[in-house]
Amino acid sequence: MIANADALLKPLTIKGLTIRNRVMSTSHAPGYGRDGKPQERYQLYHAEKAKGGIGLTMFGGSSSVAPDSPAAPWNQISVADDSVIPYFRQFSDRVHAHGGKLMIQLTHMGRRTKWDTEHWLPTISPSPRREPASRTIPKEMEEEDIARVVKSFADAARRCREGGLDGCEVSAAHGHLIDQFWSPSVNQRTDKYGGSLENRMRFGIEVLEAMRAAAGDDYVIGIRMSGDEMIADGLSQEDCLTIATEYAKRGLVDFLNVLGGQARDHIAHAISLPNMSFPVAPFLFLPSAIKREVDIPVFHAQRVTDLATAARAVAEGHVDMVAMTRAHIADPHLVKKLSEGRADDIRQCVGAGYCIDRIYVGGDALCIQNAATGREATMPHEIRKADLRRRVVVIGAGPGGLEAARVCAERGHAVVLFEKSGQAGGQIGLAAKAGWREAMSGIPRWLVAQVTKLGVDLRLNTEATEAAVLAEKPDVVIVATGGTPFRGHAKGAEQHAVTTAEVLSGAVEPTGSVLLYDEMGQHNASSVAELLAKRGCLVEIATHDRMVAEEVGTTNQPIHLRELYKLGVVMTPNMELIEIYPEGNRFVAALRNTMTDAEEERVVDRIVVDHGTLPVDELYRALKGASVNHGQTDQDAMLRGEPQPFDLSKGYALYRIGDAVAGRNIHAAIYDALRLCKDL
Amino acid sequence: MHSFMPLTTVFPGLVWAMAALALVQTARRAALWRVGSAAPVAWLHGLARLPRRYLVDVHHVVARDPYASRMHAVVAGGLLAASLLTALAILPPLAQSRAYWLLVALAFAVTAVGSVLVGARRYPAKQKRLSAGRFQILPFLLLAYAVGGTLTALLLAVGTGGIALPFTLALAAAGGLGLAFEVRQGPMRHAVAGALHLAAHPRPGRFEGRPDTALQPLDLEAPRLGAEMPADFTWNRLLSYDACVSCGRCEIACPAFAAGQPLNPKRLIQDLVAGLNPAEPPYAGNPYPGGREAEGERGPLARLIGPDARIHPDTLWSCTTCRACVEECPMMIEHVDAVVSLRRYQTLERGALPEKAIGPVTELRQSGDAGGRPLPARTDFAAGLDLPLMADRGQADVLLWLGEGAYDLRYGRTLRALVRLLRQANVDFAVLGPEERDTGDLARRLGDEATFQALARENVATLAKYRFARIVTADPHALHALRNEYPAFGGPYTVVHHTAFLLELIRAGRLTPGRLPDLSVTYHDPCYLARYNGETEAPRAVLDAIGLARVEMARSGKRAMCCGGGGGAPVSDIPGERRIPDLRMAQAAETGAGVVAVACPSCTAMLEGVTDRKAEVRDIAELLLQAVEAGR
Repeated sequence: MIANADALLKPLTIKGLTIRNRVMSTSHAPGYGRDGKPQERYQLYHAEKAKGGIGLTMFGGSSSVAPDSPAAPWNQISVADDSVIPYFRQFSDRVHAHGGKLMIQLTHMGRRTKWDTEHWLPTISPSPRREPASRTIPKEMEEEDIARVVKSFADAARRCREGGLDGCEVSAAHGHLIDQFWSPSVNQRTDKYGGSLENRMRFGIEVLEAMRAAAGDDYVIGIRMSGDEMIADGLSQEDCLTIATEYAKRGLVDFLNVLGGQARDHIAHAISLPNMSFPVAPFLFLPSAIKREVDIPVFHAQRVTDLATAARAVAEGHVDMVAMTRAHIADPHLVKKLSEGRADDIRQCVGAGYCIDRIYVGGDALCIQNAATGREATMPHEIRKADLRRRVVVIGAGPGGLEAARVCAERGHAVVLFEKSGQAGGQIGLAAKAGWREAMSGIPRWLVAQVTKLGVDLRLNTEATEAAVLAEKPDVVIVATGGTPFRGHAKGAEQHAVTTAEVLSGAVEPTGSVLLYDEMGQHNASSVAELLAKRGCLVEIATHDRMVAEEVGTTNQPIHLRELYKLGVVMTPNMELIEIYPEGNRFVAALRNTMTDAEEERVVDRIVVDHGTLPVDELYRALKGASVNHGQTDQDAMLRGEPQPFDLSKGYALYRIGDAVAGRNIHAAIYDALRLCKDL
Repeated sequence: MHSFMPLTTVFPGLVWAMAALALVQTARRAALWRVGSAAPVAWLHGLARLPRRYLVDVHHVVARDPYASRMHAVVAGGLLAASLLTALAILPPLAQSRAYWLLVALAFAVTAVGSVLVGARRYPAKQKRLSAGRFQILPFLLLAYAVGGTLTALLLAVGTGGIALPFTLALAAAGGLGLAFEVRQGPMRHAVAGALHLAAHPRPGRFEGRPDTALQPLDLEAPRLGAEMPADFTWNRLLSYDACVSCGRCEIACPAFAAGQPLNPKRLIQDLVAGLNPAEPPYAGNPYPGGREAEGERGPLARLIGPDARIHPDTLWSCTTCRACVEECPMMIEHVDAVVSLRRYQTLERGALPEKAIGPVTELRQSGDAGGRPLPARTDFAAGLDLPLMADRGQADVLLWLGEGAYDLRYGRTLRALVRLLRQANVDFAVLGPEERDTGDLARRLGDEATFQALARENVATLAKYRFARIVTADPHALHALRNEYPAFGGPYTVVHHTAFLLELIRAGRLTPGRLPDLSVTYHDPCYLARYNGETEAPRAVLDAIGLARVEMARSGKRAMCCGGGGGAPVSDIPGERRIPDLRMAQAAETGAGVVAVACPSCTAMLEGVTDRKAEVRDIAELLLQAVEAGR
């Protein structure tokens, strides 16, 4: 049991609403909304957390109260009319059935949205200043706009109550309309809504007073706000303290949900959603400072990934509730596991940011390591036992192989897991060697602990041969042998280029000047560039893309760019590597500008490339002929969630997953494994 | 004929002389008992029941060691029969009957066989649990009396006494008078004191088939609280300690002794005996672990407890009040009562609680919870389960008493399982919630009777506000206090342990568990359920009902070994060489069971605190819930 666990497992009562413990999930936008409504997928995602013991789960990050704050951008929820109420009722019944409480976030995003996504209404804001992140120039709000939006908030609050939700919060964080009024970086009005802080607070006060009037004094209404905008012309910590105490004192809010920073541009966004390069709970001091000034509960989220930190935050009195939003995406059952004394079984969030990065490019939130999250209708978080115990051989203990072994062992099968190297984890072991990406090692650490606990016969330092596999008399063979780095098509690359993997593994230790050519736009090249620059190399990173690390998501890419700038790495976009040849004991790289076709040369000590991986499939091909299914997965059966239709009395079935099929990513490998093995 | 007439008188005369000597010795000893305070004793009833108490209750204990049982039957039966028959031979018709003397000879011969059985336990090597000292000469005294008696009776039977008779008679006299002499402070004291103790036993309920285990309330207005010196005990308690036969069965059963903590119940009783009598021969059994030997002062007014007294305070605080010694004692001695009396003085008169126990007891006194946790936090474990409160409902069929375990994270799991089961079975129940206070069990066992009584009165007053048919609790310590000790404070309740209640629900078809055949389980009996309340069957029946492969530990039921969690021992935390729960889990591991089923929050905490344990520790409610869910 972790220290101070009892502090987390104490109930909290707010206005007669008792939340069973101090662990919550903040409102966010997982991209699961459909037609502006929280439908089955969205509801099951939160119900799973309630089933897993969470005290309070808040959904609908940035749920809109008015059409000029459209719900479309993150497939979000519109609370702008009554048609959402039946969905709220169904939703709250689902969560209440498991003893959890459910709240929503209501907002008007003001300038922080787009005008061209749904209703083609102009965005609005206290003053017409463009926000870099949303890229829109808003209309300056007239008094009529203010009155209209205030009424929209009030109507939305009533809908929440009628829908059976336990409460709601308004968002005044990340640069939404209320904090656009607060922040001098946006609000340049000269009327009663601008100027002094007292005037800038007025709009929010009118909103909350109207919501109270509409939803009743006994309805729980809170506010999400920043404790310090951390920008030169923004709200200082002192301003935020003043706002928090004023709103609390007026009885407008029942809780304060405090975070650090805002999100008006790329790096601010990355800081407000801290990734694994940050320490845990980096902004805990902000809610802590506010808690000392107010007598209502204070909530906080921001990279609290482990229960020990969460328990400390509550036990030491910094906050009343800890939000572990991403931690629940990794493991929705973490509170249950804590209270059942199974804290070691918690799949801990590593802070990869895969979930959030997907939604900012229009995708749905998925967990890099838990393929069941957001797929509750089809993928189980708790694996059911199979009727028949099979002998399963898995080859390769990377993330895919480990997940396959784990799921098969949970199904009750006898599992042998071969791993050629001395360490499980596959390519994650390499990724974790690169500077701030070290926390990636948490993914295989959990998987190895689980397979060990489940009695999987994990054979490290053992290369699987055809004979060794067949000697196990398997019913099922799963090839998860991963990929091998590819040196690319440039002339001379095969002889003269080294790969990022070789640098990370230590096989090659470049010195002097390095040209790093990246065709993937992923973490790999940027990480290696940072690593080499820190080791004293003079590094230029060239890429085919329009910018460096183009495929890396919005909470991670700014961190890479920040590091690369700080380290003096030269960034050269729109370049293609066409040839490498030696000159003396150095190398010449020929680069061609993808826009102009103009060619340039670099003379460097080492050329490092990242072209992704090609499958390691020799063993698969050796085993394929004798297998009952010729190595083919019946995709239709798998997509229908049905068992693979092969007769195992006649021999073994052979499957291939992860990068051994085609180089993709960790989530793909783990999802391959889960959806195949849950029905084996 | 003429010549042996006087001898036929001398021989019975010897026995009469023995009786007289024994009487004198007993009277001298009884003078010491009289320093004790008065005690109400139903003498007539006690004496009338004496044979039954001896033959049924004592025999039930003695028979657990079949050799000792046979030995005692032969030697004691023979001794009593031979002596009685010989004594009757002062009647001339009997004295002149050769057949009668043959019968006497036979009785002595049986005694002789018994004497050999007695000797065989001590020679060539003494059994480890037995005391040496004067007990080592007992077989020789018995043998001398028996052989001398046999030969004398045979010679009288055949009528050719001659010159041999004086020698055989002398042999019998040496043994017989020796035995009688030993009635005061030797091995034979147990016979007389034991018989009187059975008649004047301070807990007569033990012999009437009910568990007479409640501690007696202390009059807090009395001039002295608890026992500091021998004279502070009642006279029949002093008598009871003299009944000790130093057999050492208690030390084998004692968990603290096994763990190498400085407690040996036999030595403790013998120290009470020696404390009473400055002339007592030296103790000759196993010492307190740790090897401390202190003579201290002796005498009825001598201080018994102290760092330099006969009994070190650590000895007192090592006791878990598990009653294993009491359960094993063939002389029906109440060791735990003695410990609590001594603790009461230490706590109430001297404020000399062990350092680590001061905090919890102070918290109990001040806030009603040993951990000083707010009373409303007792229901934190059930947040989200919407526990019905008596304060809201006023009445319910079942009042669920949550106990101290409710504050414990681990045990919260058990209580949640229990609540779910009650819901599943549609039981109409409610809890006191913030109105529930600690039963005071911890305070009472640690001698703080004042705090216990205050808590008992508060709880009784709270319970009086509501209507309920029964109290159900998962905590045997709470159960014992509520069921057996609260009646003295005006609270007669029907109290049911959760395992018995769950069994009722299963039998009534209100819970329909599936079977959990994959698990093998061994059940650890809580002391306060099994020994204090005699309930050993219901928990086992629940486990059987869910189809578990149940295996028993070598020590189980009323003879189970304590987990170390009772009597305030965990808060006193007296160091030993080993930990009691480690020993118990090792015993559980010997069964090979994958699950140790428990039915008490203290046992759960103690056993789950064992590092590197091979088995899971799960409350019966948790196992049953799993089975009920499997059965859906």
